[in-house]
Amino acid sequence: MPAKVHTEKQSMSQSTSTPVLRTHNLAKTFALGFFRKKVHAVRDVSLEVKKGEIFGLLGPNGAGKTTTLKVLMGLIKPTAGSAEVFGRPAGHIVAKAQLGYLPESPYFYDYLTSLEFLVLVGELCGLRRRESRLRAEKLLERVELSHAANLALRRYSKGMLQRVGLAQALINNPQLVVLDEPLTGLDPLGRKQLRELIAELRNEGKTVVLSSHILSDVEALADRVAILVKGRMVASGKLSELLDTRVINTEITISSPPEALVKALAAHDITPRLVGDVAHFTLEQESATDEVVDLIRTHGARLMALIPRKESLEDVVVRQAAVVDAQSESPNAQTPNAKTGGA
Amino acid sequence: MRKVWAITLNTFREAIRNKVLYSLLFFAVLVIVASRAFGALSVNEEVRLTVDLGLAGMSLFLVIIAIFIGVNLVYKELERKTVYTLLPKPIHRYQFVLGKFLGLTLTLFIQTLVMAFVLAAVLWSQGAEVSGPIVRLMVLIFFEVVVVTAIAVFFSSFSTPFLSGMFTIGIFLLGRSVPDIRAVAAKITQPLLSSLLEGVSAIVPNLRYYFVTGADIKGQHVSVNGTFVDWGYVGTAAGYASIYTALVLLFAMALFSRRDFI
Repeated sequence: MPAKVHTEKQSMSQSTSTPVLRTHNLAKTFALGFFRKKVHAVRDVSLEVKKGEIFGLLGPNGAGKTTTLKVLMGLIKPTAGSAEVFGRPAGHIVAKAQLGYLPESPYFYDYLTSLEFLVLVGELCGLRRRESRLRAEKLLERVELSHAANLALRRYSKGMLQRVGLAQALINNPQLVVLDEPLTGLDPLGRKQLRELIAELRNEGKTVVLSSHILSDVEALADRVAILVKGRMVASGKLSELLDTRVINTEITISSPPEALVKALAAHDITPRLVGDVAHFTLEQESATDEVVDLIRTHGARLMALIPRKESLEDVVVRQAAVVDAQSESPNAQTPNAKTGGA
Repeated sequence: MRKVWAITLNTFREAIRNKVLYSLLFFAVLVIVASRAFGALSVNEEVRLTVDLGLAGMSLFLVIIAIFIGVNLVYKELERKTVYTLLPKPIHRYQFVLGKFLGLTLTLFIQTLVMAFVLAAVLWSQGAEVSGPIVRLMVLIFFEVVVVTAIAVFFSSFSTPFLSGMFTIGIFLLGRSVPDIRAVAAKITQPLLSSLLEGVSAIVPNLRYYFVTGADIKGQHVSVNGTFVDWGYVGTAAGYASIYTALVLLFAMALFSRRDFI
């Protein structure tokens, strides 16, 4: 695969330091339940995250995102392959000292206040009590929870717990911040604040890895993404590389179309959907756009909107999921490599 | 060590706020009421009854609390997912288990102290005092509870609270019967069964060291007021408890270090 070699060389020249995160052919199989039924949570994931980038781990539910992250956090031991953090095996105490992790839908001690909890977490990171307390107070301010600092965590709402989770991930001023589904459970304002915070982290030179099944969240934030489907990495690279830049279709909205126009459109196999006196239709071929617009204008109808729709990350995931499905049905299933850029 | 201590204090704090200490109130009421009621039935034996009931009650309560909290100790962290937040911090997994165990031990130590004071208060109200042997027996009770705690934590590091509870209670009962098991093993002629019983009595902790009432130690029948339980005996028993606890904890740590947190 010459393309891959090329990008790897590029990344070598960009930074000679070890990648912040690296997995190589990572696989994890769980034996669950009484009959030790085998579940392949992660089959083959090789990825690399460089210093200072925001990396998105994408995929539908059950794709293996959380398992991959847990392996990297040292919570789960890989069945095959390797996982490294700051050049050390995942779970190594030196690696853990430089990272902060927000688990999926985090839950903490009911009977502690958020301040007490953060002080505890700070102490586990090796901070002295006094320093831990200072940082905890600052972080509570940063996630806008100062007012609830002395409230027991069992009284917190889900969104508030998510903020506490973020604060605890940052208590040791980590170089790498790993966030598992950080935007889930947040209200629109909370999501906006979190996006801003992630951007701030990037400006501070930190590396951020976040997973999500909500693609638009990652689309707006991540420099690079990896897409997991059924435990396999089906694509990775810059968003601009992964997304097909061609226009898929064009959505057109016009107001009060005369009868003659509707007939003329029908000749082009277009049947507009009428809502009141507004008509919507989708143009599948980009080349027909000019012609259709001319028709609309000559019939004296008003063009309200013309939206060319390009491939979104959502489309990529759906496309890749279909490929994986098709391959897993064939006996000699191999990792689909439709678009594996420099990981 | 600071990290272990942070977990210890946190475990202690959670236990206290979880209203575990209400059990102490229950204990106090029970000891006072029972000693009054039975005392009235047995002329001139009030003090002996209070001591017997008080010590038996202490032991029973502490063991129940140790098992009840112990089997939930690690499991709750998994169930509540708190372990996902704590273990990615720069700590070793064994530090986590050790901290949890020490936190529960600290909780039980404070409870032992409070129960001892309640018992002392009841005795004083009856015009008796807490003699040296009673203090020594209380120390023994505490060390037995430490062993039971370690066993509960051991099971809880890989099993569900229900199963852990069953296993721990089972080992506790076997441990209390070690001399009896050995006696039976000596009498049985069937060699396989005999060596099985020998094996069991060798593996489970001999908890009879810690609850001496009615036991035969060094060929002597012991009553609670027996003064022969000297500090040397308590020291040996404490040493045995410490070694047994350390071994069980090592196993618990090893198991906990190997497992996946899905």
